[in-house]
Amino acid sequence: MKHFFSLLFILFFAFQLKAQEPKIQVGQYAPEIALPKPDGTILKLSSLKGKLVLIDFWASWCAPCIKEQPALKAMYDKHAKDVQENRFEILGVSLDKSKENWLSAIQRFNINWPQISDLKFWRSKVAADYAIEGLPYNIIIDATGKIIAINLHDKELADFISNQLL
Amino acid sequence: MKKFLLSVITILVVSNVLFAQSNKEPWTSQQLLDPAILAKKITNNQTKNMLIICIGPDAIIKNSVDVGATQSASNVAKLKAQLKNVSKDKEVVIYCGCCPFDRCPNVRPAFKTLNEMGFKNAKLLNLPNNIKTNWIDKGYPMNDE
Repeated sequence: MKHFFSLLFILFFAFQLKAQEPKIQVGQYAPEIALPKPDGTILKLSSLKGKLVLIDFWASWCAPCIKEQPALKAMYDKHAKDVQENRFEILGVSLDKSKENWLSAIQRFNINWPQISDLKFWRSKVAADYAIEGLPYNIIIDATGKIIAINLHDKELADFISNQLL
Repeated sequence: MKKFLLSVITILVVSNVLFAQSNKEPWTSQQLLDPAILAKKITNNQTKNMLIICIGPDAIIKNSVDVGATQSASNVAKLKAQLKNVSKDKEVVIYCGCCPFDRCPNVRPAFKTLNEMGFKNAKLLNLPNNIKTNWIDKGYPMNDE
């Protein structure tokens, strides 16, 4: 009987630990994303396989995300050759609600990397699939689609991308 | 000893005043409304005497109206228009939820507007993190999509 309760106790904690495991982890494959670009055509994350991809989850209403865009732009320009040679890409995934605001932000920061959004705000499927709790948020995946870093920003992000592209 | 104690008290009082001044917000802690309380009122249909206004990205809270992000002057004008004929005694609850208060560009201009217009029962919905974690994830009532 004593052993039975011990087993029950262990099982209970094992389930608790399993329940607390983060949904998105380094080492796992990134869930597929298939959302419309500004022109309405669908872009799939899987179509970028073979490249190092920074998935930038952002929105025009998110002040810290907006603040981060010039640094992303500088990074994209710095690695323009890698982009041309299909080694690197940034994928902007917006949680915007208003298409007008989304497009206006893209234009304002002269963002020239692919942008997608279902314009569903926090109701977007990607917010659930990637367990996003707040913006800005990002994921970096390798050429095979495996997650290699989560939520890096500023210098840490720039250095990580540079090192990966060495 | 007496001198030492007096010095310590003086330093504490001065630093407290300075701290309070540096953290001056247009709302008081009493004007922060707990989301659980608002959610309960909405669920129990007790919001007839209140006006819930979204001053951020999306009017996701049930029964709320949208004026748009009040970091822009045009949306502050929309907020003023929305409140033009509203009694100054009415409970007006504003919310944003784009990001934590310290980074939010919308809550301050909106709450200042409520104060300037003389609303005596103005409230700011206390969403210390964002609308997702402090409202949606808790299963509180939402406007239909």
